[in-house]
Amino acid sequence: MRRRKILALAGATLLITASACGGGESEKSGGLQKITVSSMPIVDVAPLHLGVDQGYFEDHGLEVEIKNNTGGAQAIPGVVSGDYDFAFGNITSVIVARGEDLPMKVVSNGVTTTGEQGNDFGGVVVPEGSDITEPAQLAGKKIAVNNLKNIGDTTVRNSVRKDGGDPKDIEFVEMPFPDMPAAVENGEVDAAWVVEPFLTTALSNGATEVASNFVDAHPSLSIASYFTTEKVIAEDPELVEAFTAAMHESLTYADANPEEVRRILTTYTEMDEELIEEIRLPAFPPEADPESAQAIADLMVEDGLVDSEPDIDALFHQK
Amino acid sequence: MNMMTADSVRPARTPTDQRRLAGARRPVRARVPGAGALLGAGGAAASLLIWEIVPRSGVVSPKYLPPASEVLAAFVERLALQSFWTAVGDTLITWALGLAIAFAAAVVLGFLVGSVPLLRTFTSSTVEFLRPIPSVALIPLAVLIYGTGMQATLLLVVYAAFWQIYIQVLYGVVDVDPVAEQTARSYGLGRWSRARHVTWPSALPYLITGVRLGAAVALILTITGQLTIGSPGLGQSIDVARSSGAVASVYALILATGILGVTVNVGVRAVERRVLRWHTSVRGENTA
Repeated sequence: MRRRKILALAGATLLITASACGGGESEKSGGLQKITVSSMPIVDVAPLHLGVDQGYFEDHGLEVEIKNNTGGAQAIPGVVSGDYDFAFGNITSVIVARGEDLPMKVVSNGVTTTGEQGNDFGGVVVPEGSDITEPAQLAGKKIAVNNLKNIGDTTVRNSVRKDGGDPKDIEFVEMPFPDMPAAVENGEVDAAWVVEPFLTTALSNGATEVASNFVDAHPSLSIASYFTTEKVIAEDPELVEAFTAAMHESLTYADANPEEVRRILTTYTEMDEELIEEIRLPAFPPEADPESAQAIADLMVEDGLVDSEPDIDALFHQK
Repeated sequence: MNMMTADSVRPARTPTDQRRLAGARRPVRARVPGAGALLGAGGAAASLLIWEIVPRSGVVSPKYLPPASEVLAAFVERLALQSFWTAVGDTLITWALGLAIAFAAAVVLGFLVGSVPLLRTFTSSTVEFLRPIPSVALIPLAVLIYGTGMQATLLLVVYAAFWQIYIQVLYGVVDVDPVAEQTARSYGLGRWSRARHVTWPSALPYLITGVRLGAAVALILTITGQLTIGSPGLGQSIDVARSSGAVASVYALILATGILGVTVNVGVRAVERRVLRWHTSVRGENTA
């Protein structure tokens, strides 16, 4: 046993050393500082890819490596461990992380609602021929969301509440977005909160949209953002400044050029080109609306996702 | 897992012989050279045909299960992409590295623990506790230690493959024929020579079985890790296609992992035949 332990320890040490050598430490090479950004292969991060494509990051001395993740659950530990310099994730996850003493700070806006009822990049859909026509009627129903205790269920509850319904008895079920159009079509769930491109897929399969939960939460709701740790901000403020500036240009470009957003989608997703033409694009304003973060924080307090009132001022990195 | 069970329940020669004797009047198709391969190809063709018909007839919506022809077209299209081959390379590297680490650790520890009865008894409860822990349950731990790179997936692969090989080695070392052992002793062979000339050949068939099981499990965990953690490789490509609603591409990539599985299995079997060419299981009927 002892020898085994020693061997196991030796093995573990070896692996850790190996990983330390290959880690995501940012380093200067050829004048450009190499950084790693955690992302997802979804529409929301089109500005990041466009920024690289248009050379905005290079202009600010950054060489970006985009690493695809399956979700915020992997992104936050990755940022904490230093594997990633920055990460993309929704605002609720960042607030929750701060509540758990993982000091994340938002350094750039990520993706914002279009603010148009019935024309947002995410919404609640019901199967073809469903009796549900109003958000209030979602009370007591079975609704699919991608993650429990996150931005989906809090904003859907808010939509129901706003419409005069009681969200208390809604049964939320966890389901990946790609599975939702089929689940709605088969009537496995009464409704689903779904985002693009699956919103378009669900609607073209006959589903009906009954709520624009992001718009209901706040007309300029910033759903997700790019964040890093307070440690990175303290140790390398210039890096953070460069990233924020490059993202600012990338978001401005994406917001002004929807055809460019659709073009870049063909490079990092596997989406069908016809589908790319059809989907509703989100808004990409360069600045996040802090008021909308407050609205999300209020919903999180109301639903008991956090114990104490989150400090929204501390959430955003002040330049 | 399917590959594993298929291997372990592969019928031995005897039942076939018995059938041949029992149904002597029936034409013996298996005698025709190449008939086995022909039958196998026929089986594959039939499966593809069913796959083609099921979505086309509307039993399952083609939106969620595209017909075989559509998936095969997507698969062929993918063969021309460099990104596909990079993903295949990443998957093979993770698999091979994981299997190699598991193999080395399992052989060293297996022989060590197996040859010392005290150590074996001492560790057995710990091993029995650790062994059934599903590798995927370690994903949060792997991500915490190694982030989302290849090492995280490697940890899962090594953990899963290690037990498969380790347990086999352990049994193999214990299963040494006592007569052979005594004979070696009476000829004055030392501890090292006995390990080399008695224990090692006796344990080798067990070890190879362990490697075969471990190779399949390692591939499964490689794809699983890439799919859920997002380490680079075919698993991650599946996730990207899935996030994009590209259903045919998802199936095309799954097809690719299946082909990889078959290749790995054929490869390991070839190694087995080579390493154990002296063993009765490989020499087959010639020994009576």
